[in-house]
Amino acid sequence: MRQLFPALLGLFLLLPASLARAEVPRDGLTRDLILGWERMALLLTRHTPTFSPPVASRTIGYLGVTGYEVVASGRPDQMQSLAGQMNGLTALPARPQGVDDAVAADAAMGAVVTALFAHTGPTGQRALKAMTAKSAAKASEGLQPAVVEASAGYGRAVGQAILGWAATDGGDRIDNMGFPDGYTPNPEPGHWVPTSHIALQQAPLLPGWGKNRPFVLKSGADCGLPPPPAWSTDPASPAYIQAREVYDTSRSLTPDQKAMARFWSDDAMLSVTPPGHWLSIAMQVIEERDVPLPNAVDALARLGAASADAFIGCWSAKFQYDFIRPITYINQTIDTKWTPLLITPPFPEYPSGHSTLSGAAAAVLTDVWGAEPFTDHTGERDGLAPRSFPNFEAAAKEAALSRLYGGIHFRAAIEQGLAQGQCIAKAVRALRTLK
Amino acid sequence: MKALALALIALPALADEPVVPKFAAEQAGVTASYTGEWEQMVGGGVAVFDCDGDRKLDMVIAGGTSPASLWKNDGTPGNELHFSNIKAGVEETGVSGVWPIDIDGDGIRDLVMLRVGEDVVMKGLGACRFRRANEDWGFQGGDGWSTAFSATFEPGADWPTLAVGDYIDRTQDMDPWGSCTDNHLYRPEPGARRFAAPLPLKPSFCALSMLFTDWNHSGRASLRVSNDREYYLGGQEQLWHLDPGQPPRLYTEAEGWQRLRIWGMGIAEADLNADGYPEFFLTSMADSKLQTLAAPGPDAKPAYKDVAFAKGVTAHRPYTGGDKRPSTGWHAQFEDVNNDGLIDLFVAKGNVWDMPDFAHEDPNNLLLQRADGTFAEAGDKAGVASMLTGRGAALADLNGDGALDLVVVNRNGPAEIWRNTGPVANWVGIDLTEPGANRDAIGAVIEVRTGDHLQRREVTVGGGQGGGVLAPIHFGLGQAAEAEVRVTWPGDAAPGDWVALGAGSVWQIDKAAAPPVKE
Repeated sequence: MRQLFPALLGLFLLLPASLARAEVPRDGLTRDLILGWERMALLLTRHTPTFSPPVASRTIGYLGVTGYEVVASGRPDQMQSLAGQMNGLTALPARPQGVDDAVAADAAMGAVVTALFAHTGPTGQRALKAMTAKSAAKASEGLQPAVVEASAGYGRAVGQAILGWAATDGGDRIDNMGFPDGYTPNPEPGHWVPTSHIALQQAPLLPGWGKNRPFVLKSGADCGLPPPPAWSTDPASPAYIQAREVYDTSRSLTPDQKAMARFWSDDAMLSVTPPGHWLSIAMQVIEERDVPLPNAVDALARLGAASADAFIGCWSAKFQYDFIRPITYINQTIDTKWTPLLITPPFPEYPSGHSTLSGAAAAVLTDVWGAEPFTDHTGERDGLAPRSFPNFEAAAKEAALSRLYGGIHFRAAIEQGLAQGQCIAKAVRALRTLK
Repeated sequence: MKALALALIALPALADEPVVPKFAAEQAGVTASYTGEWEQMVGGGVAVFDCDGDRKLDMVIAGGTSPASLWKNDGTPGNELHFSNIKAGVEETGVSGVWPIDIDGDGIRDLVMLRVGEDVVMKGLGACRFRRANEDWGFQGGDGWSTAFSATFEPGADWPTLAVGDYIDRTQDMDPWGSCTDNHLYRPEPGARRFAAPLPLKPSFCALSMLFTDWNHSGRASLRVSNDREYYLGGQEQLWHLDPGQPPRLYTEAEGWQRLRIWGMGIAEADLNADGYPEFFLTSMADSKLQTLAAPGPDAKPAYKDVAFAKGVTAHRPYTGGDKRPSTGWHAQFEDVNNDGLIDLFVAKGNVWDMPDFAHEDPNNLLLQRADGTFAEAGDKAGVASMLTGRGAALADLNGDGALDLVVVNRNGPAEIWRNTGPVANWVGIDLTEPGANRDAIGAVIEVRTGDHLQRREVTVGGGQGGGVLAPIHFGLGQAAEAEVRVTWPGDAAPGDWVALGAGSVWQIDKAAAPPVKE
């Protein structure tokens, strides 16, 4: 058996006393249904072409809040609503008496997943229909029809409220797979230029994403960063030295460094993306540690908010500095034929998105569950061997460094990305959830 | 014919931009459609071949949930197109693709019909009549969702080798991703004129197009497979070794194969620079790919450069009609539609099925090659920029006037047929035949020389989307009144002698009988 944690003791030491007692009946079912929809969201993230990492992070953010709010609404003595704590989130529909959590959570999650993935293809639509029918049947099994109707109605109302909130954040509409129809790169040296011969990617991905409304940050510029090293081709300059590091490292990669790069590659449309990877980690922990429902939805809500804000903050900095990618710098300055191990993403380099995200996600999960060892099986379906880590922070550092091994980021983008993630996690930490 | 002759006179001798031929839409009596829902979101093609020996090209169109249909060409040479539907024994439902090939070497073309369900091989009986031959020929058609096909004759074989590509496990509803079912290789049963039990081609990654191709000019075909990344996990494009007597095996990174992951939907092959090493056009969603060997030569490794962007054939979004969303490419075919001696490229386009992030008004591409090797879009000027939901297609000379006409099979819409009314320049058609099982000389290479301009085509069966053409190979000659032609026959180490052939005719070249005969 894949053991994420050697014992449950550590978990319960971290939980508020009110949650360490026996679970409410049907909590396990409610949690499984929520995780089922999160899992469907991960499948659809991979298979819906507009779901680049920023878009995926936004979806994970709203799903986390959806599950949390349904569960919290039935436990006012244990849990506090996020309404009023997150930007633009006002009071959610009042919960009627007699609502069943499982049915309500299933309906709410189903409504939000179905709407946010409305653009998925025919196979995704078919999967959504099958999931909707099967999970609703599972949730309502053994309940009176009136309870099912009232609970599902409440769940749908919560889902619609979340969707109404999401519609105003600036990230609701994605055109042209996220690539502007026209874009003129900055002609000055040191700035991002297209790095592939894919016609659609001659413009960078989602240049306005950093202006979206965050979940907890005041704005995308909240966790600002110092500038990257000034562009220079002088071999003594910091810019050249860090480019040389990427180049030299790429030519002497160990098998484990290559495995590391591929493990965290998380390419859009070929994987669950980086935010999906961290959601997958959290779900593995929840399932393998049998985390109680309130703690589970708290973790998913915090992780979702951190993921979404990480991409908004990171994108704000990326388009503030508009920094050149290693492949461009190295081809211009060191080796015209050099290519990196990984596919260079089509947007500016600084900071590293995976680093910002991983820094934020690891800090949030550490806040919730502490520094515990775990094994990550996310890539197993794609033939990637599991990797084990002593704690979330170690995983985040490896994810960040993997971008150097992959040849797509300089060290400054990695280190500053992790720091930016820590800053974002601090804002998430201030949320009041479990009483 | 008179209109074409006049057009030929008006053809400019030299021009910076290619001459754009005009295609006239003609219903031509054809009322077929590829119909269906989820299980018909891919497939839908047309087989173009002569099924009754009258030297006019007939068609079998895959119908999806509708029966497949045979359309006998009863037009007259050089005139408007006309076809009549005849009951031919091909009227199976669930057909996703159909390819012509003479399996039993009797000189009458047979059919391979891929289906959602059991695949079927149909023996040609002559006079455009067919009957099921699975049992007679030992063909185990399985019960998959078949979507890709190619065929070759392995060295010394008197029976073809077929490759059939499969798609998703259609029983999976909530998580079909990663459920790609096995592709299969049907080799001859030793000592018998029938197929042995099929070999699974593991791993399989939801193939939508396959092509046996002599990519490295070795005289032996390998199997190129284009896979839909939407459904595979850990997959990529593939190239299989097919060594005689050996199990198929994948080319590896150590052999130079480079990982490419696209929504692979159609393969078209042409040796654009006549260096002996074909280029491959791979259709996809958004950007398509045009691959050329990174280092061609006798020891070439299967490492390719993508030159689609440089050559202007990314075909990534509609070029007319105002829909700016990314395109979805399906069937692709290289042919010379204006007979200027430079091969052109047609791509059928159409949304998968209500995918809102991709163009719904997605015009077909007709990319005409310029003298410098780049391509110019001319679909709208030529009149083939249909906004219906294209899938399979075929460029072929349907009325025998030397100008390639076009048929496109549309999903849940009528098939469309266009007659190429020119202007086009001179041309020659080459109809190969050889004794023995491989009557149509699959795997042969034809070279055509006009002055210092060389063209080179390999005779293949497969590729595209859901169908293909088995007909005389067409070469544009520009203003040349004749061409020198030579053939490297399957299994031969060297080409035959050059022979001079006059323009304006289809020439039958029989390996067993010289000289070539005008048809």
